[in-house]
Amino acid sequence: MTRQIRMHIPDGFLDPWVAGLLWLGSGVAIGLAVRRARDELGDERTPLLGVVAAGIFAAQMLNWPIPGGTSAHFVGGAFAGMLLGPSLGVLAMTAVVTIQALVFGDGGIIALGGNLFAMAVVDVLVGYALFRALRGVHETGAAFVAGWGAITAAALAVGVGVGLSSAFSYELSVTVPIMVVGHALLGLVEGAITAAVYGYVANARPDLVLGRGDDSLSLEVGL
Amino acid sequence: MSALVSDSWERRALLGLLVLVVLAPVFGWASGVVGYTEPLETAAAETGASDAADPITPGLLPEYAVPGLNPPLGTLVSAAVGTALTLAVAVGGGRLLER
Repeated sequence: MTRQIRMHIPDGFLDPWVAGLLWLGSGVAIGLAVRRARDELGDERTPLLGVVAAGIFAAQMLNWPIPGGTSAHFVGGAFAGMLLGPSLGVLAMTAVVTIQALVFGDGGIIALGGNLFAMAVVDVLVGYALFRALRGVHETGAAFVAGWGAITAAALAVGVGVGLSSAFSYELSVTVPIMVVGHALLGLVEGAITAAVYGYVANARPDLVLGRGDDSLSLEVGL
Repeated sequence: MSALVSDSWERRALLGLLVLVVLAPVFGWASGVVGYTEPLETAAAETGASDAADPITPGLLPEYAVPGLNPPLGTLVSAAVGTALTLAVAVGGGRLLER
């Protein structure tokens, strides 16, 4: 069996008002990201944006089998935020999540706002913030915590969204623990991959990493 | 797009993308062997929401498969198409936004 299973929120899971709120939240964040990105893009950052987005799409297709009946796949929002900064990170993940929904039916159309909010907004911004906060203590450890913490926070957002919806019988007390605990465990893989890939890129090409290398890329990009 | 292949990091990055694409069917097979559930599927099952999924559109290549192709090949083609499309959209969008 090699068929890829859908992994994002499908249509029908979110009540309209929940889906609308999540569209609003993701729309505002993406709009701000577009405005800020104009100053950051250029001959080096634009190809990097493309490569990171494409790499995350491809990496999300790799389901790491975990004996016992589950598997984890890399989501990559934290990695995108750490490497590209919050604005380009949000845009990279927006491209990935939107193509997954429109081309592959992975995640719904009405639910796209929810999937964008979780993976292109929360995952990116929480990962970026954790990494920035902890980087001075230990860079690899910060990358691990950022990957793990961000995916867990994104799962909390999804757990709350579906838990406030009628399809899930408004059972927040069921949806939130399942999403948070499940992804906190799977997030250990996310954190490990985030730290490993970030470490590789930072060693191989420190000039491509935001906050490293030459001053032109050492932008102080706040949230 | 010519700038994308003009120096070595970008060529290495494209090679890395190709490796990821080729690995997609292998991982798909391996995760199928152990079974596959996501926490969201578990939460849906626990609350009776599993049947509520009601896709508005299945997408052009539903579930990363290609009609008429066997699953490993369908996964490979989907990975290649999706990766190339994401690269094109992100670089194209980025170029449009550049000042």
